[in-house]
Amino acid sequence: MTAMTRIRRGAIDLTRVAVFWVRITVGLAALALVTTAQARTLHVAAETASSQPLTIYGVLDPPQVRPLLADFHQRNPDIEIEYHNLETLALHARVLQERNAPRADVLMSPAMPWQYELANEGLSEPLDSPAAAAWPSWARWRQELFGFTFEPIVMVYRRDLAQRMAPPTSHAELLNLLQQHADVLKHRVVTYDPRRSGAGYTYAIEDARISARYWDLVEALGQSHSALETTTGAMLEGLSDGRYWIGYNLIGSYVQDYVATHPELVMVVPQDYALVLQRLVMMSREAPHPAAARRFIDYLLSAPAQRLLASHTTLGAVHPGIDGAGTAADLRARLGDAIRPVQIGPGLLATLDTLKRQTLLEQWQQAFDNHSTFTDGPMEPSAPFSPTPVPTASLPEASQP
Amino acid sequence: MILSRRWRLSHLSLYRRLMIWLLCPLALLVAIMLLQAWLASREAADRAFDRLLDAASLSIAEQVRWQQSRLWMDLPPSALEMLSTDAEERVFYALYDAQGHFVTGNRSLPSLPAVANDQMSYGNVTSRGMSLRLGVRRSRLEGWDRSDRFEVRVAQTREGRWALANQLFMASFVNIVIIAGLAMVVVLLSARFALEPLTRLRRAIRERNPRTLAPLELALPRELAELRQALNELLARMRRVRANQERFIGDASHQLRTPLAGLSARAELALRQTDPAVWREGLTTMHGTATKTARLAGQLLSLTRLNNPEATPARHPVDLAALAQRCVREAFSRHHRRGVDLGVEIPDRPVMVSATEWQLEEALNNLIENAALYGAGRITVQVSDAPARLTVVDDGPGIPESQRLLVLRPFHRGQEAGDGSGLGLAIVDSIARAHDIRLNLQPATPDHPERPGLCIALTFPADAR
Repeated sequence: MTAMTRIRRGAIDLTRVAVFWVRITVGLAALALVTTAQARTLHVAAETASSQPLTIYGVLDPPQVRPLLADFHQRNPDIEIEYHNLETLALHARVLQERNAPRADVLMSPAMPWQYELANEGLSEPLDSPAAAAWPSWARWRQELFGFTFEPIVMVYRRDLAQRMAPPTSHAELLNLLQQHADVLKHRVVTYDPRRSGAGYTYAIEDARISARYWDLVEALGQSHSALETTTGAMLEGLSDGRYWIGYNLIGSYVQDYVATHPELVMVVPQDYALVLQRLVMMSREAPHPAAARRFIDYLLSAPAQRLLASHTTLGAVHPGIDGAGTAADLRARLGDAIRPVQIGPGLLATLDTLKRQTLLEQWQQAFDNHSTFTDGPMEPSAPFSPTPVPTASLPEASQP
Repeated sequence: MILSRRWRLSHLSLYRRLMIWLLCPLALLVAIMLLQAWLASREAADRAFDRLLDAASLSIAEQVRWQQSRLWMDLPPSALEMLSTDAEERVFYALYDAQGHFVTGNRSLPSLPAVANDQMSYGNVTSRGMSLRLGVRRSRLEGWDRSDRFEVRVAQTREGRWALANQLFMASFVNIVIIAGLAMVVVLLSARFALEPLTRLRRAIRERNPRTLAPLELALPRELAELRQALNELLARMRRVRANQERFIGDASHQLRTPLAGLSARAELALRQTDPAVWREGLTTMHGTATKTARLAGQLLSLTRLNNPEATPARHPVDLAALAQRCVREAFSRHHRRGVDLGVEIPDRPVMVSATEWQLEEALNNLIENAALYGAGRITVQVSDAPARLTVVDDGPGIPESQRLLVLRPFHRGQEAGDGSGLGLAIVDSIARAHDIRLNLQPATPDHPERPGLCIALTFPADAR
């Protein structure tokens, strides 16, 4: 990925969805930026004389989506696929723009609140296939919105950190570490900036919902002058460079890929709770090619496609009949109740509320800036919030690719 | 055709009538109950789900505060999740300030007219093609400095309500159908039980020996007991009729046997003699007896014909005057030879009655004959109009008052001495009955000590013309 590409692509989207500039500044671009320079549109031609077209808008980078499309094409050679890889907000904006005459048949996006908002608006079409009905209820909304991947939000640390201190394996340990080694870790921790990144904002709101102690963590992050980035890619680069030692709230699927080629980094799925992101797929209401769309979504929910997701991508499979590395079943078996998939429900709408966002961001800012009251004082910073010790021995081996 | 006949009201069987009159109201009742159940289910579902709107809007309203010189709200996700329910409804919310300006929300929602004494009002609205249930909460800030009014509007799609309403309705539907089914069975059974005595009666009548006229003995409910009584009365009448017939046949055979026996004896007596003069005398007597017997047989035949209830000969307009004139003319010479003065008095215009002509002739001939047989010297046939009346007046010995009804019975002779068969007046009576004619017997000249005479009047009913 070159800086040139990044800038050019951002500019195009800005002009296209100028109306939604406020949201764009939030910058959900994080996910798309991890891609290498690729064509924005993938085209798979049909092999039969009579073909039916299928248009997909997705936020899924070509390396991840290509094996899926290839496999689908092999099974359905009569479908001509046009895959548009968009950024999350661009996808959302474009779908709203085309709401009266949709051009896309299938929409796939990891921006769960935005995708849910579209479905809630009634822009999705129910799917009444057996696969859709059998899909686990926690990973779908109605028969319209399906979470077909399972991507934990993880922490990453540099291998050499272990020589200085016990690496964190949970949120509580991270908080403990930050409070005890605030000086050592100053400017060495990196996380999403929720004010500038939609993904970061989503994780912040989910973190805050799960535990009130999240605010302690934000304060601690502020105390150690943590760096704030807008993409997982930037954080990984910084970690690889050695600028940062610990990364908090990174998207697991990208990290897994990256860590495979960067042995100096270790991925940790937090043990107390791990947020899990799901890419949501839905069929457009009044889709131009509903039959092909149904076949594609049915395929995504089928065991072969899910097995492919588990083995050939880092996205993770949801299908309950599949186990082994890279599946939801595997992660659940290792972490049990600590797995917290972001609930696909109207709670996601609250995330999109403007006042709610302002409230949360202000609170976040306040907590993050609050460091002056603690760091400079003689008071032991962790006194009111003594963290519970978590055994480091139970660090999951499989989460370190 | 047959079907329409079967279903015509007057031909409808009692059982069908009962069924129609019981089942139609039952069906109507069931329909009303189902409608009511449907409305009640919908209302119950709305009530249940409206509580969610109430709770969610309350939970949102509690988060509304004044901040940065404007209405502010920290939207609780749980409030929206509450609205989603098991049916995974689509959920919409919006916050409006006192002036009705949109503050925040995921869709602009209309307001609803306020309900007295209630912060909440509910209504069904359609928004962008979606059928929504909208709840509007009117509230105000509770603080020391500001008490601005604001409205929290929440809406959800209605699938869950429909599902619940359907579920409730199906439960009521099953109940109502079961009850209706039971009621129908009860109605069918009770109709069968109620009509069972009728079946018994029919069976009892069908199983009777067709020759027996014995009264029907059967325990029946009151309504049918009356029918049974009427039936028994009819049977009693038939028994009397049959007894009469049997007596008549006995009398008739007796009457015929006597002259036949006389003929036989006379012939035997004559054959013992060799004198042709005696033979001639015997033959003369036998001729007289045979003539009398033939007349008797003829009268028996006409009486039988008259008494046959199956044969009701057609009636035609008959001119009584012409009829009287014709009869008298035919009988005149015969009676004149015997020295009887036969006369007729008729008006100069026709007296029309509706009757069977040969029967009237028969009656008139019998009356004339009868009068002559019982020794009248002068017989007058009178016809008068308004009312139409045929009268035969004679100067014979008459009939004593005590005998006047008895002479109308067959084989009853007014005088033992007479030459008659005893059937003449009985035939007249039968004809009179068949024509609804009033038959009246009274002395012609009551003051005469020996021969008061007899006046027999046949008065036709007023509507017989």
